[in-house]
This record gives sequence, C-alpha cells and structure tokens, in this order.
Amino acid sequence: MTTVFNKQSTKDAVFDGLEKALGDYKIAAITKKEGKVLFDYVTDVRKIEQEYTPTVLSPKKFFFPQEEVILEYTFDGKVSAKTNPEKIVLFGIRPCDISGMKMLDEAFSESHGDPNYLSKRENSVLIGIDCKSVCDKDAFCYRVNSQNPETGFDIMLHDIGNDYSMTVVSEKGKEFAESYFDSEIFDYAAYAKFNIEKKEAFAKAGGPFEDLDILPEIFEENTNHKIWETEAERCLSCGSCIMVCPTCYCFDVIDELALSMKVGDRLRRWDACMLRSFAEVAGGENFREEVTNRVKHRINRKFNFLMKKHNQAVCIGCGRCVRACLADISPVTIVEELTKTSRALKLEQRNDDLYLPEKVTITKVEKFTDNEKFFEVEFDNGKSLGHEPGQFVQLSILGIGEAAISISSPPSFGSRFEMVVRTVGDVTRKLHTLGKGDNLFIRGPFGHGFDEQIQKKMEGKHILFIAGGIGYVPLRSLINLTLKHPDKYKKISILYGCKTPGDQMFKDELQYISSLGGNIELLETVDIPDDKWLKQSGVITELIPMSKFDHLNTIAIICGPPVMYKFVIQTLKRNKLTTDNMYVSLERRMKCGVGKCGHCQIEDLYVCQCGPVFRFSDIEDKEEAL
Amino acid sequence: MSKPKVAFFDFTSCEGCQLAILNLETELLELLDIIDIVEFREAMSEKSDTYDIAVIEGSFSRDKDLKRLTKIRETAGVVIALGACAHIGGINSLRNNQTREDVQRIVYPDNPTLYETNKKALPISGAIKVDAFVPGCPVDVKEFVKVVKNLVLGKAPGLPTYPVCVECKMNENVCVYEYGKTCLGPIVRAGCNAVCTSNGGVCIGCRGLIPNPNINSQKDIMEKYGLNMDLILDSMNLFMTEENKAGQEQAPCSPMPPKEAANG
Ligand SMILES: Cc1cc2nc3c(=O)[nH]c(=O)nc-3n(C[C@H](O)[C@H](O)[C@H](O)COP(=O)(O)OP(=O)(O)OC[C@H]3O[C@@H](n4cnc5c(N)ncnc54)[C@H](O)[C@@H]3O)c2cc1C
Ligand code: SF4
Ligand code: SF4
Ligand code: SF4
Ligand code: SF4
Ligand code: FES
Repeated sequence: MTTVFNKQSTKDAVFDGLEKALGDYKIAAITKKEGKVLFDYVTDVRKIEQEYTPTVLSPKKFFFPQEEVILEYTFDGKVSAKTNPEKIVLFGIRPCDISGMKMLDEAFSESHGDPNYLSKRENSVLIGIDCKSVCDKDAFCYRVNSQNPETGFDIMLHDIGNDYSMTVVSEKGKEFAESYFDSEIFDYAAYAKFNIEKKEAFAKAGGPFEDLDILPEIFEENTNHKIWETEAERCLSCGSCIMVCPTCYCFDVIDELALSMKVGDRLRRWDACMLRSFAEVAGGENFREEVTNRVKHRINRKFNFLMKKHNQAVCIGCGRCVRACLADISPVTIVEELTKTSRALKLEQRNDDLYLPEKVTITKVEKFTDNEKFFEVEFDNGKSLGHEPGQFVQLSILGIGEAAISISSPPSFGSRFEMVVRTVGDVTRKLHTLGKGDNLFIRGPFGHGFDEQIQKKMEGKHILFIAGGIGYVPLRSLINLTLKHPDKYKKISILYGCKTPGDQMFKDELQYISSLGGNIELLETVDIPDDKWLKQSGVITELIPMSKFDHLNTIAIICGPPVMYKFVIQTLKRNKLTTDNMYVSLERRMKCGVGKCGHCQIEDLYVCQCGPVFRFSDIEDKEEAL
Repeated sequence: MSKPKVAFFDFTSCEGCQLAILNLETELLELLDIIDIVEFREAMSEKSDTYDIAVIEGSFSRDKDLKRLTKIRETAGVVIALGACAHIGGINSLRNNQTREDVQRIVYPDNPTLYETNKKALPISGAIKVDAFVPGCPVDVKEFVKVVKNLVLGKAPGLPTYPVCVECKMNENVCVYEYGKTCLGPIVRAGCNAVCTSNGGVCIGCRGLIPNPNINSQKDIMEKYGLNMDLILDSMNLFMTEENKAGQEQAPCSPMPPKEAANG
C-alpha cells in the first residue's frame, strides 16, 4: 500500500526548503537556458519557472539519458558495469510526465531490472506540480486519463493561492517533506476546491477516447486500415516523435574504443523505431522496411502491444510528438479514425442478409468422373459473384443443407461461375441429381483467397501449381487467371497428380494447356496408369524435381487431399524453397462460412475467414494445420 | 601490426577540411598512434609513392585530374572522400545546372578561359571508386577520427543513416520551423550533432541526403511554411545538386556499398 498523506506549506516555504535541499541533492527543475525552457539542474532555486507548456524533452532524460556509458572495458578483457547515481530532486513535473515515468518504471523493472535506470530512480525524489487546466491545444492527457496519476511521484503540489497543498504518496516523499518544508494547517476545503476546479476545467476540454479500454482490439481489427498508408506517405522518418516521447525507451548499443586502442566504453544511445535503420540486420535485410510498417509499429506500441501489457494506454497524451511532427502526424487522428471505423464496422456490419442465400440457375452440367460433376450456374438477378481466386461459396439446396464449394472459374466471368462437386453426402449427392434449369442457392464469396498482395508477389516468379485430385478445382481459378498473362511470370509449371487417368478433370482444358508452350509447362502423373496412359506414373512429389525450379525465385501453390501436403512440402523444403514462398489452400469442415460457428477453426484461426488460402509459413507451427 | 600509411590529397576545394583536421591537435597526435601520415601538403613537404589509405579533399572538376585520381586509386587500398566537395560535389556542384560557358563568364568576366574546368563539378566517386566518406562542410573532425579508427579496426565507417532531427531533438531544440524558418534537417544525414540548428542556424544540407529521404513530403512541408518551389529547390541544391539529380532511390552519391547502410 502506498502511504498517502496530506500537507500544506506556503510557496515561500517550499522554495526555502528547496534551497536547503541544494546542499544534499542536485535539483533539476524548469529553467530558461539559452532561450530554451527545459528541465535542467539549478543552482538558484528562485530562478525556477513554474508556468510552462510541456518541455521539448520529458524528465525521462535524467534517468535514461540520451547517451550513457553502461560498461567500461580494457581491450585485454577487464570489464566493469557503470552506474554512478547522484541524489537528485526533480521539481515541478507535470501529471502527464509522472504517468510517463510510471510507465518507464514498469518497463525498466519487469523481468530484468535495468541497473542504470533503476539506480538513478532509487536516488531521486519526484515532486510534481498539478495542472489546473489543459496546457495547450496539442495536449490530450484527458483523452488517455493520464492527468491524475495516483503513484509514480513522491510529492504532488496543488496550487491553492499562497500555499501549496500537497499529496504525499511515498515514505521517501514523507521524509523529504518533513525535513525541508515547514507546515501550515492543512486546509481540506481548499484542497477539495482545487480538485473540483481541475476536474471541471479538464472536462471542458473533453473526455477520454471513446472505447479507450478496447483500443488494442480496435488496433488489431484495423491493421490494414488505409490511414496507415496516408500517414506514412507524409512521414519523413525523421524520428523526432520518438526522441521527444516520454514513454519511448528503445536504445542502440555502441562500442567506442579510445584512440589508444586499449580501453573502451559501451554506450547506449536513444534509438527510434521510426528510423529506417532500426530493424535492419546485417546483410541489409530490413524487417520494417516500409514507412507504413514503422508508423503502424510506433502507434501500435502505445495503444496495442504495450497497452495489453500495462493495462492502460502507454501514450500519456503529452502532445510532444504532435508538436514535433512537421508532417502533422498525430496519435489522436489515428486513434479517432480507427475507432470510428471499428464502430462503423460493428454497427453497419450487422448484415441482415448474412444467412440469406441468393438464387442461381444451373446453366451447364458435365460429368467428369464417377463421383465428380462440373456445374456452371448463373445468378437469377444478373449480379456477378465478384470473387478472388481461391474463395468459396456456401451452396445450398433448400431442405437438404449447405456445403462449402470452391469457385473454380477465374474472376470476371460475368454473372456466371463454375464449380466441381464430388458426391460425399447429403447436399452433394442431391446436387448430382439436378440438371440444367434447376435452381440452387448461394451465399458468398467467402474466405481469403489469393489476394492482390499474393498475386503481386507472384509476378516475375516461377509459379509452381501443385494439385492433387480434386485439389485442381480450387486452384483452377488462379491457374486460368495466370494463364491469361503468362508474360507476367518467369515460368508457370502445373503439376497435377491423380489416382487413375479416369480421375483427371478438365481433360480438354489440360490438353489445351499442354499445347501452349512458351514458359508454360504441364506435368501430369497418375498413381495407377492404364494401357493408354503414356505420361509419368507415380506420386506427385516425383514431378517436383522435373520442374527444375530455382528456390530463390519460385512460389509454390498447393492444394490436394490432406496426406499430400506433408510429402509435397517436405520435398519442396528439401529443394530449399522456404515456407514463406509456399501457399496452401486448406479444406476444413465448415458450417457458417463467416467465422461464427467455430467448425473450421485451427487454433486461433478460422479457416473460413483467414483461409482457406494460407501462406504456409503463417501456419506451419500450428499442430492442427495439416 | 604495422601502422597503415595515410596520405592526404586535395582537388577542387577550399582546403578547409584539411585545415580543420590540422586544428585537431590532441586527437591528431593520438591518431598518429595508429596511423602514419606520409603525405599532407598542408602540413609537410614530404611526398610518398606508397600509402594504404588515401584521404581526398575536393571535388572532381577538371578532366586532367582524372589521371592523378586514378593513380591514387591504384596505389591506395582504401580511398576516403573528405568533406562535402569530395563526398557529394558540395558547393562546387551548384554550377552543374548551368553551362560551362556561363559559369566561366560569371566567375572570371574578364578572362573566362583563365582556368580549365569541366562541364560539372562531381564528387570524387564521379571519377574513381570511393570506399568511405566523411561528410560535412567542413568535416566534423571527431567524425574523421572515428571513421579512420573504425576502418583501421576493420569495422564499417559507422556514420549515422538517420537525419539531423534526431540529434537536434536530443539537444532539446525547439524546431526552427516554429520560428518561421525552414530547415533541411529531416532529410539530411546526422553526425554533426545538429551543430547549426543548435546554434541559431538551420540545416542547409552540407552532409548530404540520408538513404531513402522522403523528398516529396519535405517539399510539401517547406511549401506549407511559405517557401515557393524555386526557393525550395535552391535550398536543396546548395550542397546537394548532384544528389538530387541522381534521383532519390538511394542516397545516390553515397559511394558506400549497402553494407554501410546496414551497419550505419
Ligand atoms: C473451402 C472449401 C472448399 C471446398 N471446395 C469443394 C469443391 O470445390 N468441390 C467439392 O466437391 N467439395 C468441396 N469442399 C468439400 C465440401 O464442402 C464437402 O464435401 C461438403 O460440404 C459435403 O457436404 P454434404 O452435405 O454432401 O455431406 P454431409 O452429408 O454433410 O457429410 C458427408 C461426409 O462428408 C464429410 N464432410 C462434411 N462436410 C465436409 C467438409 N466441409 N469437408 C470435408 N468433408 C466434409 C462428413 O464428415 C461426412 O463424412 C470444400 C470444402 C471447403 C471447406
Ligand atoms: S498534457 Fe495534460 S497533464 Fe501534461 S502538462 Fe498538459 S495539461 Fe498537464
Ligand atoms: S506518443 Fe506522443 S503524445 Fe503520446 S506520450 Fe509519446 S510524445 Fe506524448
Ligand atoms: S515526427 Fe512525424 S515525420 Fe517524423 S518520424 Fe515521427 S511521424 Fe514521421
Ligand atoms: S530544426 Fe531542423 S533539424 Fe531540428 S528538428 Fe527542426 S527540422 Fe529537424
Ligand atoms: S528489446 Fe529485444 S533486444 Fe532489446
């Protein structure tokens, strides 16, 4: 429990006390120096400024300085850690900065206690001066509730006219106040009045962010929001926002050898995730190359990643970054925009038609194999499905049920689209009895297919389609799309394996593909050949080396029966293809198709939402995936 | 370990960078613990035919210098461009947007052909391969020592790849834009400890561009603060004519291989 007690002293007594304390402590407070208003050590306490808007840098610099030596060593291997704290009093800190110090205290204490920071903190007395009203237009402490910290300081002064009313919350603070500040009788009414007036003044500025408590969720929902890009376009990656932030604490570690080449220092210096070099590793690979990702990372740290850990926003709303940013990039704008989008999502996304299917008419049926039939259908209302390759629909026959079926035609196929269905059970068996002119019902398209990003990544690469059996069907949409512009790719190899020649689907189409030539090749195999089969026989993995791919320039796209994935992926790995260049389309039991019923879930993923198409590296660690 | 031999050479420049180094008395003496200076016209009359590190000041502006530069390149294992003129062309490159004839007429109206000159004043990397550079006009002598030290230790030169704003903020300056001035700090390579903005000036770009600067946003901001496009380009071209010409994909005249950016 924190000790809380109240005290009151005249302002003069406070400054007299500080003067006395100068013999025992170094005192840092707001002073004017070379035209700047900043926190600095003072020798004359009468020159301390009491009114100010937030300083360019926060008081964190006293505990986590811009640059400090953390280790001294000699070249022959003698090392010594370096902490040399002095006793300091930090006088006149604002509530927001105290909230910031609290955040840093937690960050530097948790799991591994940082000796440099903590030793300085232990030797310091923090004396705050409370704010009577919001300091300037850029400050937004009241939006993140940082204006009334209950801990993080030793003594807080409230200005009640001639006197300071004090809240003391630590033993250290109590000792200091008792030793240096002469007491008056505590005027509770004046203290209460200060608090009421403060509350009113801040309320006038506004309340906390709507949905402040659930900002982490809102940020998760909006990782692809367009605001990230529009802000990043203006961002200079200048790092100013990070330099001035009281709750940023990333640093760089640098070895500096003296010219004698005999002794050296290891320094730590402020670093910034907004700088391009921050996530760069040897060899030039950069894990956060894009400005967009850096802006996203910085703001997510404040309102998502670290907020989850600290249970409160890690931005204290001091507004320093807003003042410092020449490109007018502000956390407030971003938080407000994301909150707005999420609210809109929540309310508007209520989709009364979610479970309402639309009528289509069968326009063509073709028997492919004993178990598989091809269907072309057309929307009765003339609309077009508007899907991306790899997506699926929920096909239903009223009275029987629904089944997830992949869309097999490429996008922009007018109001028609194609499917291939294998009879396995109720819905699929019934479907096989239907013919041209009969009606079906459709919901969708659903799921995450081969989106634009994947399609972009494929450009210029050798594309290896690996399809087993009915797995050709979901891939066909993308295969046919790529075949439209083969020049966009280095090479297109289609590897197709079936049990028997009779199981092959789209025979005419395959013949056409094999006649195309150029950079397009079709490699076929069957497990059990018949007399007429002149091509390869054996399992599909044997086709892989025949495509002669260069592992640095290839993307493999895989779909087939569950057993196939394991062997195909093993073979690809053996040929050095990395799993971030493999995409799989997974089949799961599905019911709702819209991320509600839970049937398709793999650990924390809903296949119907995040899949069925996955980059393999994203799911390879999930035991349930294959 | 025998000490590497270092030779200094100058081309088109004011020799201010070499002077700055000579003024660095104590560090220079200590530097002599790890290197031998075998040629330095500003300080001594000896000349040497062999050296390991060549430190070149000045830009490449006369065709006839190519021979001497090639010779230096062949002799030295490591070539360091010293100062803005050698690193990015510097002030000399200001004239690169005009014809040679105009330039000669403006500079020597009475006798335009008095001195021979190229069409352009280029960084040393416009003539020969350069392995490292020490930016600035004049150079920051501490940084010079650091680069030499790092190279002798076999490390990357260790120049920052972040912009001046970082150091400016560490020095707790109020941004000059708040006083209605404009500044190139956000796109210019740090390492000078923001000496200009910390002493009442603005950053004029003597250290050249950072890798991947956001030039468009920089222009928008300068425009928002009241500069017209001509003034914006003038200010950006003062030192960086050649860098701006080369396009903004990579810090273009930075002669360092990508490795340097990684180790910054
Ligand atoms: C994303 C996705 C795309 C699909 N694409 C196609 C396609 O293009 N063509 C095609 O023929 N099939 C496809 N399927 C499989 C298809 O959804 C099932 O075969 C279908 O739901 C079975 O329904 P039913 O009413 O005929 O069978 P039911 O009578 O419901 O069940 C019969 C048997 O099939 C099994 N089963 C039921 N649902 C599924 C399911 N979703 N996946 C696997 N087994 C199931 C049951 O366990 C049971 O053993 C796809 C599945 C998914 C998840
Ligand atoms: S941001 Fe809020 S708490 Fe901080 S100084 Fe301004 S008003 Fe006070
Ligand atoms: S993100 Fe900006 S407003 Fe928030 S604490 Fe940091 S500097 Fe202050
Ligand atoms: S201060 Fe603004 S421009 Fe600079 S890095 Fe931060 S967000 Fe980008
Ligand atoms: S004064 Fe210049 S260098 Fe300093 S923060 Fe402003 S723009 Fe950046
Ligand atoms: S926080 Fe991970 S290395 Fe420092």
